[in-house]
Amino acid sequence: MPAWFTPERMTWLFRVNPALKFAVFLLLLFITLFNRNLPLAAWLAVLSAILLYGFSGYSAKKLALLSIPIALSFASSFITMALFGKGDTVLWQWGIFKISEESIRHGLLLGTKSLSFGFTGFAFLLTVEPVLFFYAMMQQFRLPSKYAYSFIASIRLLPVIAEEIQVRSNALKVRGITFSRGVRGVGERIRSYTVPLFAQSIRRAQRIAIAMEAKQYQMGAARTYFYSTSYSRHDAIFLAVMAVSVAAVFWLSFGVPY
Amino acid sequence: MKPLDTAAGSCTDEALSLRKLRLKFPGEDSLLFKDLSFSVKKGEKVLLLGPSGCGKSTLLQVASGIVPRSFELPMKSEAIDLPSSWGFVFQDPDTQFCMPYVDEELAFVLENLAVPQEEMPERIEAVLRRVGLQLTDVHTPILELSQGMKQRLALASVLLMEPDVLFLDEPSALLDPEGTEQIWSSIRDAAADKTVVIVEHKIEQITGWIDRVVLFTDHGEILADGPPDTVFREHRPELIRYGIWYPGVWEDYVRSEGFLQLMRDRPGTGDSRIVELESFTGWRGKRAVIHAEKADVAEGSWIAVLGENGSGKSSLLLSMIQLLKTTGTLTVDGRTVIQKKRRRTLPDGLSLVFQNPELQFVANSLFEELTVSMHTLNPEEAEKRAYGLLKRFSLPEDGKRHPYQLSVGQKRRLSVATALTGNTQVLLLDEPTFGQDARNTFVMLETLETLRRNGLTIVMVTHDLEIADHFATHQWHIADGRLMSCEKTGGAAHARLVHS
Repeated sequence: MPAWFTPERMTWLFRVNPALKFAVFLLLLFITLFNRNLPLAAWLAVLSAILLYGFSGYSAKKLALLSIPIALSFASSFITMALFGKGDTVLWQWGIFKISEESIRHGLLLGTKSLSFGFTGFAFLLTVEPVLFFYAMMQQFRLPSKYAYSFIASIRLLPVIAEEIQVRSNALKVRGITFSRGVRGVGERIRSYTVPLFAQSIRRAQRIAIAMEAKQYQMGAARTYFYSTSYSRHDAIFLAVMAVSVAAVFWLSFGVPY
Repeated sequence: MKPLDTAAGSCTDEALSLRKLRLKFPGEDSLLFKDLSFSVKKGEKVLLLGPSGCGKSTLLQVASGIVPRSFELPMKSEAIDLPSSWGFVFQDPDTQFCMPYVDEELAFVLENLAVPQEEMPERIEAVLRRVGLQLTDVHTPILELSQGMKQRLALASVLLMEPDVLFLDEPSALLDPEGTEQIWSSIRDAAADKTVVIVEHKIEQITGWIDRVVLFTDHGEILADGPPDTVFREHRPELIRYGIWYPGVWEDYVRSEGFLQLMRDRPGTGDSRIVELESFTGWRGKRAVIHAEKADVAEGSWIAVLGENGSGKSSLLLSMIQLLKTTGTLTVDGRTVIQKKRRRTLPDGLSLVFQNPELQFVANSLFEELTVSMHTLNPEEAEKRAYGLLKRFSLPEDGKRHPYQLSVGQKRRLSVATALTGNTQVLLLDEPTFGQDARNTFVMLETLETLRRNGLTIVMVTHDLEIADHFATHQWHIADGRLMSCEKTGGAAHARLVHS
């Protein structure tokens, strides 16, 4: 992992079994996804914000930086929904823009949902070591090893691909290739990058696969694990905390009258 | 892997044997191997030699069972007896690992063998010692290792399987001289008691160690099979023709008629300075990666930029062509290059060739590839020039083929040819002969020398001192991100220390 992704301090979230953490966070995301109640969506966003800002162990500066895309996605989903959403109680109208009470409600619902997705997603990604996560998935959730190792191998290749993009970009400059402005330019750019990068990646993937088999990797064969992951006291605490918080979120949303 | 059933009555002192192997690549008309029989005795160290494309690597893959087990090719044979326990080291140090860290990669092999977790750390330490890979921390990212260290790691991971037979497919082809020395010394130490089958062009380090050489023809037939001395003595013309880096290849080459003729009345450099650097620094972010206090390049010279890995050789080229941020003074042909932070076009007169040719191709045919960057010329002139370049660089002359369909050596030459736009005065090259066989290397160098005679100036990063001594007019030495010295080749009297 790049040095940037080292936390300031290891919080209790790091000590939770990564596979279990993934399952619980996934459940949170599903609740968020299917929920149509605004207060619940808002309180879920608050809960995931507490997880991210309170317990990810990253410095305020880095967290602020990571909040930018989340804020942008909140703003964009809220604004589009509010301006163009359907509704009868019109508050303001100008040309194709029509803001109604319902559209604002929908906008807020969508906005808070994207906040929850962002917060939860980062809270997970920032507190998990990818290799350990896949080891836990294999050991606790019986994920077939071929998927786990192909994910790990692809993570390893990300910096290589980043470097290749850099070289390609330099090479195109040296070759004097310029792109049109606007949408057409984007198309040209995508074409001139994808072909060579795909060619390199496919070749690399095939070679790595052969090398893995040459190292006697066999799909489905019994194997041992270098990192043994298991459940611990921290997982019990984590489950309890999450259960209580989710219950509290539901009580705040439905038990308290607004 | 499960041991294959061995044919009854097969010779027990053979580590592997194939009889009447026929094999073909899908889509190709002719067979790669036609009734090839090949066997290796236990404990033997065998080197397979031959021109590129003769099927040596494929034979290794058949002999290990990778073909057809992991990679299917149409093949049949009368009898095939493969080793039950084997290890394979591949050519490319960057495509052999699936885990991010050294210890995790080695553990991956141990996991495959179902070794209990408690035993893993000890065995990892032991195997790293065995290949001479000393790390302060075994949990080191593989990305931080040098290429030579990566190959040692590949060897280590293979040794964990305690193989009887070791297959090595050009393990040093992509390594610099230091890495090459490292990997072969590790192999010699760690595989002394094993059967070893090697495919390699760079054979200087192992000629004394191998027992047997098998020389293949272009058509995948065995031309010679015997002790190294005999084969090297009796088949020198083939070794030269196939581009093998046999010991003494440079001595033979510099005595060859072609080289002598090329170097006869070799014109020296011009009087004018085409590139001048003063207090010139290249930056990656806030870090100065290369600094040259004062240096200049005379028109028509061939500069070999020498130095260790990571010393800043490539950064010097990137800085000169303004792909890195630079400070100080840089003049090209009397024009001062304006150093902007973000630029869309690069300075006139300079052109750079990177190592990986495929990342530099932009068109769908050789011809287009060459005309793309000649937009300053009119179409007819560009066409004429393009055909001229195809001929000069020994590329398929109809120019219709897709660049990706060329051979490795042709791709390299094409990438150099594409850099020669109408107004290229100085050609910057990042190891243009790296990983190439001897024949392609000499063709490349001869082509560059011809271009130099026609007025081009060459600045070339290389690890190969032979190239620097026989072709370069000047040698620049770089260490720790500084240009330390610029001297004339062969003339210590002219040596001029630039570094203050």
